[in-house]
Amino acid sequence: MNADRIRLWSLVVEHAQGEPVTVEHVCAVALSAAGVDHAAVAVALSASPRETMYASDRVAAELEELALTLGEGPGVDAFTGGPALVADLTAPDFLARWPVFAPAALDAGVRAVFALPLQVGGIRLGVLDLYRAEPGELDRERLADALVLADTACALLLDVAPRHDRPGPNGAWPEQAGSPHPEVHQATGMITVQLGVSLAVALIRLRAYAYAHDRRLRDVAADVVARRLRFDPDAGTGQDRGG
Amino acid sequence: MRSRSGLVGVEVGRPLLPAASRRGYCVTRVSQMAEIQLADVFVEMADTLVDDFDVIDFLHVLTERCVQLLGISAAGLLLTDGHDTLQLVAASSERTRLLELFQLQTDQGPCVDCFRTGQPVSVDDLPAAGRWPRFTAAATEVGFAAVHALPMRLRSEVIGALNFFDTSTGALDEGKIRIGQALADVATIGLLQQRAIHRSGVLTEQLQTALSSRILIEQAKGILAERLQLDVAEAFAVLRSDARNHNRRLSDLAQAIVGGTEQVPPATKPSRRS
Repeated sequence: MNADRIRLWSLVVEHAQGEPVTVEHVCAVALSAAGVDHAAVAVALSASPRETMYASDRVAAELEELALTLGEGPGVDAFTGGPALVADLTAPDFLARWPVFAPAALDAGVRAVFALPLQVGGIRLGVLDLYRAEPGELDRERLADALVLADTACALLLDVAPRHDRPGPNGAWPEQAGSPHPEVHQATGMITVQLGVSLAVALIRLRAYAYAHDRRLRDVAADVVARRLRFDPDAGTGQDRGG
Repeated sequence: MRSRSGLVGVEVGRPLLPAASRRGYCVTRVSQMAEIQLADVFVEMADTLVDDFDVIDFLHVLTERCVQLLGISAAGLLLTDGHDTLQLVAASSERTRLLELFQLQTDQGPCVDCFRTGQPVSVDDLPAAGRWPRFTAAATEVGFAAVHALPMRLRSEVIGALNFFDTSTGALDEGKIRIGQALADVATIGLLQQRAIHRSGVLTEQLQTALSSRILIEQAKGILAERLQLDVAEAFAVLRSDARNHNRRLSDLAQAIVGGTEQVPPATKPSRRS
């Protein structure tokens, strides 16, 4: 974890005030870190339609609902593509791209929208939508912070049980969702085949295994890649291969 | 669709130009040969940049060309995630131990120093230098004796580093360093693609996209490795040759494999690149 991640995670934990950390607390930090007025997390796992998991206020809830109903808006684009950073919704390009959403957002007093995918490679969990009354770009530092918070939201969605109340083996929870260690993502792909599950479920299982065995994610992943550890669909957890 | 004349259509180690274009070069001296290859590589890069290309594949080929042109053992490219941390996005070989070595440098080593200072870092004799004990031990164990890192710069900003390893000690001569730096600059241009960097967020966005593509490819490698019972380096070779054979972008194929909309390429072991 670098200094920025630690700083932002500390803020998220502070907002939780001793309760289990959720995306609500991530959104609360996003408001101040990114300097925006409204924030929401919408999730969409393959089995269910997109739904709003958390909205910071009525405006955010209404815009999420609208995007869901219309199937248009920056958040919809970010869910399937990369970040959608909209400095000013009054620009003709954006009015043309989102003919119903853009005017509705403007009516609600929103000029800028920054939608960040909750994504780990091919795993798409949802989107973090940030809304601001003032037009203008999100500056570099704020965007970088918002991206870290999006990764934090991913990690929270992937770690099913609320358990970020104590430091893990790497000294700070949660483990980064978009881990810089390639073996984590390679292992996710391998477990997908071993268990016959989606990539998202494979990553959830891998993270749960590491947590349950009090080991670093990258170390467990390295065992999977080296074929020292295999996930067995008939057993509850991964199977050690002996030597 | 990208044309077959693009970067990824070229076989590694083969001449890049058709036979007719090479007529007259048969008695070229070695020094001139190197120049011809250099020109070919830059033509190849330029050819790719004007086309619709896959950024990870582009960077991967670029690291391969570094190895060929500079006569080094391995090359890797690390990018910042926007938070002062480096991540590996491409390497000349996907061998696990090599990737680990590159990744180790996100914590300490010449690459981090190069990234922080924006200056090239060259270590001709790694053990003798006595710096970065953990990295030196790991590099020595794999058999590397010299390491060089060149900054990837965009105006006043450093966005990553191009990293070279060599099994023999010794400096890279001035000419090779200049070629290496030019390739680092080409990589920077490739990353930014054809988009003008007028918005402050675009660079961060592009870097984020490149890192995300890399994760996607790792996931696809894992799926192939398990299905075909290959190691992950072999799985990458299968993925890449299938993308080339079908003239597809590497990340599009990876996405199709990960999304389950596409079955795996034929279960034949790759003949090259282990």
